[in-house]
Amino acid sequence: MEDNLISILESFGFPVFRQGSLNPSDRYPDTFFTFWNNSENGHSFYDNDVVLIDWDFDVNIYSNNPDLVYTLQKQTRKKLKNSNWIILQYGSDIPSDEITHIGRGMRVAYINKEV
Amino acid sequence: MGKNTLKLETSGFSDLIEKIKAVNGNVKKAVDDALTQAGETITVDTLEALDNAYLPAKGKYSKEATKESVVQNPAVVWHGDTAEIAVGFDYGKKGAGGLLITGTPKMKPDKELQEIYKKKRYINEIHKDIENVLNDYVQEAGG
Repeated sequence: MEDNLISILESFGFPVFRQGSLNPSDRYPDTFFTFWNNSENGHSFYDNDVVLIDWDFDVNIYSNNPDLVYTLQKQTRKKLKNSNWIILQYGSDIPSDEITHIGRGMRVAYINKEV
Repeated sequence: MGKNTLKLETSGFSDLIEKIKAVNGNVKKAVDDALTQAGETITVDTLEALDNAYLPAKGKYSKEATKESVVQNPAVVWHGDTAEIAVGFDYGKKGAGGLLITGTPKMKPDKELQEIYKKKRYINEIHKDIENVLNDYVQEAGG
C-alpha cells in the first residue's frame, strides 16, 4: 500500500519523501509531502491466519506557503478518501526543521486482504 | 499549552463500570486511579525512551530540556462521563520533544517513542492495565 499512497501523493505534483530521509544539508523544496509507515498489522484472522491487514501511515505536508498547506491537506484528504483510505486523524501541526516552513500532519489507514 | 492527551472514555469500559456501580463501588475513584496509573506508566516509558533517543547535547533539543518537557504527575480531568489525562510532551515548554514522535523531513521518528504513541499494541496493553485496575475495584467492592 505504500506504493499506492506515494502514487496518490505524487499526483499533486509536489515531491514526496519518506520522513527523515532528507540530508541535514538538503534545502527544503518550497512544498512537499513526507510519509511514514507507523505499522502494518493483522486486522482480522480466521483459522489461525491473517485475513485482513491494517496499514497505518502518517502523511505530512510542509510548505513555505501556510495557506497552501491547509488547502493541500484538505485536497489530499479528499483524494485519499476517494481512493478508499481511512482518515484516522484529520490534521495537526507538526514540527519543521526549517523556520521558513510550516508542517501539517494527518494519520491515515488502509485495510485490505492479505495477499 | 498543547499536550498529547490520553483520553479514557467510560463507554469503552461500560461493562466494568456497570459492575462497579452494581456493587456500589466508587466509579470516579476507580477511573481516576486507573487513568493515573496508566499516565504514570506512559511517563516512565517516555522518559526511558528519551534516555535512548538521539538528542544533541547542544542546540534546541538537549536531553535534559526535552525530559523536562515530559508531562509528569498529570491530573485526571472529567468532562461529563468522559475522563482524560494528559501524557507526553508539554509543547509550552522549551525542548518539547513532539518532533521525536512525528519526526521531521531530516529526522526519522524515534522508534521507542513511536512504540508508545503510535502503535496499537502499546495502547492495547495500557487499556488492559486500566481494565485490571477497574476489575480490582469490582473485586474489592465484593462483586
